[in-house]
Amino acid sequence: MNAQTVIALIAILASPASVAGASAADPQSNQSSATAPRSSGSTALSGPGQSRWQFGVALGYGLRSNPLVQSDDIPIVVDLDIGWFGDHFFFDNGDLGLTVTDNEAMTASIVARVNSDRVFFGKTDTKFVSLDLAGQPLATAVELTIPDRDYAIEMGIEILADGKWGHLQLAAHHDVSGTHDGYEVDFNYGTGFRRQRWYFEPSIGATFKSESMNDYYWGVSPGESSDALPVYAAKSGLNTHARLLFSYQINKNWAFTLVGEFERLNEEAAASPIVNDRNVLGYFAGFGYRF
Amino acid sequence: MIGTFSAISPVSATGSDVMRWLPVIFLFLSFSNAGAADDSPVQLKVKPVLCIVDAKTPSCQMSFLVIWQSAESGYYCLYNDFGESPLRCWTDEQAGEVNDERDVQNEFRYWMTGNDEQTPLAVVAVEVLRMDTGDRRRNRRGRHVWDIL
Repeated sequence: MNAQTVIALIAILASPASVAGASAADPQSNQSSATAPRSSGSTALSGPGQSRWQFGVALGYGLRSNPLVQSDDIPIVVDLDIGWFGDHFFFDNGDLGLTVTDNEAMTASIVARVNSDRVFFGKTDTKFVSLDLAGQPLATAVELTIPDRDYAIEMGIEILADGKWGHLQLAAHHDVSGTHDGYEVDFNYGTGFRRQRWYFEPSIGATFKSESMNDYYWGVSPGESSDALPVYAAKSGLNTHARLLFSYQINKNWAFTLVGEFERLNEEAAASPIVNDRNVLGYFAGFGYRF
Repeated sequence: MIGTFSAISPVSATGSDVMRWLPVIFLFLSFSNAGAADDSPVQLKVKPVLCIVDAKTPSCQMSFLVIWQSAESGYYCLYNDFGESPLRCWTDEQAGEVNDERDVQNEFRYWMTGNDEQTPLAVVAVEVLRMDTGDRRRNRRGRHVWDIL
């Protein structure tokens, strides 16, 4: 997404016409208003109606480290939050879903989404190297290019549950785009602590990645190999991650958010010649506006 | 979009100056309404003015500090949405304050009147921000997408 696109999206989202159905936010101030309300009060005001749409934008700065060799970290400047929730179908930040069960105990949905591993491969460089990836000298300098990988469309089941004990997610998705023909199983648990404007949420999780999937993203096929890049086949593995989120609600629309995430790649991915760092670190600090 | 930072849309950090100043511009535009001139003869301030509720905390038990000040001494009354009768009235006063304990679940207002009790001289709204929507599925999903908002 380039800068122009982001600006255009923000302009559209900021337009009153684009948030039809969303509540109109009053200016945030503890100063008295010159506008007179009703002259007498008997009951408390009711809250605004719920829109099926959700819009938000966060502006700030963050970074996500790139575990690939010859790669750049991924800067995070803008985070757009766009969702629509119908009676059964929903769109949530790129995820398309159909809810099949929704009750006090759990929500189960069929979800189609784009795989997230591809994001690292968009920030790689090509270099001429005189050492292979193990540090051994090469006879002649060769061009080393990190193999490209495609996005995969995955479809699967997602089960969500929550309570005073926290919130839980179980999900299993299989590639339906013929990109890697593999699957992954996600587990996430988190719990939030709120003290009025302050919010703190630690969460942990693990993702099992099948052999087909792991090998597609982290393996090196004979056709991609060179003197500097050996053939590598990855088997299945388990990624783990943890995250801490702090948030301060400035007013009804604005919040300051600080989030940090640590992800540890599975052993098979970490052993790949195209992987430089097993740990992926991410952070973001910024101001979020919810329409 | 699950389990990673992938919900975040990366944008080049080496973008134009517009991108660099975009957060400042956006903040300025958003907050610009808060500085509007107030011609009211009575100044009314309330702290706090925001109550945040969610599934775990369905209401806010708060102590509201209500402070008013007028350019002229006179008869003034403070009301809120919880009752027909005034919370307190002052005779021949120019300023005053009240601590009001409330268990808040919905938005409400404080307002001051003078001799004419039907005409508010100043109004302050206490807003309630619901972090959970009425849609259970949406609430549960919102927590699980790696969404920083």
